[in-house]
Amino acid sequence: MKLRRERDDVGGRVPPNQRLTRGWPVLHASPIPKFNPAVWTFRVWGEVESEYEVSWEEFRALPPLTVASDFHCVTGWSKLDNSWEGISFRDVASRAKPKPSARHVLIHAEYGYTANLPIDAVMDDDVLFAWSHDGEPLEPQHGGPLRLVVPKLYAWKSAKWVRGVRFMEDDERGYWEVRGYHNRADPWREERYSWQE
Amino acid sequence: MTAEPTTPKEVWALIERADELIKYASNRDQQTAFAQARSTLERAIAAAKAVTGAGALEQQARTRLEDLARLEQGAGA
Repeated sequence: MKLRRERDDVGGRVPPNQRLTRGWPVLHASPIPKFNPAVWTFRVWGEVESEYEVSWEEFRALPPLTVASDFHCVTGWSKLDNSWEGISFRDVASRAKPKPSARHVLIHAEYGYTANLPIDAVMDDDVLFAWSHDGEPLEPQHGGPLRLVVPKLYAWKSAKWVRGVRFMEDDERGYWEVRGYHNRADPWREERYSWQE
Repeated sequence: MTAEPTTPKEVWALIERADELIKYASNRDQQTAFAQARSTLERAIAAAKAVTGAGALEQQARTRLEDLARLEQGAGA
């Protein structure tokens, strides 16, 4: 892990008590899953009008977009100027037609990993399911083939190896949120731990 | 003997300590590391019960104990 301290002159883009990294540290709770595009599926369900499930091929046929954003890990590193390519969350959601009662989502990933988010946080322009980073396919250790990217929140909310989204009326804490991490995870407010809530 | 936690932040520090012990268990004697992690989490649970406003931390430590039990089972420990 190569960390480098720099002057705090990056246009106010580094949240409090974060340090810049030029590398990309790898942190996750589970082994790296094997990806088989022939059996991989992505499911959208819950408080929606039209639940659906698509194959990898179908997912990749959705209209892509590229987003440039910064990335902040709760362990203290920030990685600026990432270029992500994938499908916007909003696009994935609109195909399922969320009901007005849908106010939260639970992202489901491999090994039963989950991350919860308010629907307002994921409908922004910069939130996407990404398969590419800086022009290269997303490497498995960084969540490839597909990870969520929610730049405005600490990176554990940007779940790796995602396999679906459940829309929900009520909030339900995700994997790390029941193990002591903050339910909202705003890096600008340093919402790191649940004991701060 | 280390002083017992008196704030939620200090209880959380114990949970984080247990997490570190588990994370780096493969670099040392795994069974010893797991046993130390279990003891640290049990200490966090006891401390959380005594600290005002640390109820959620007690449950978080219990969840991590369950994780550890699964990990031990998987490792054949």
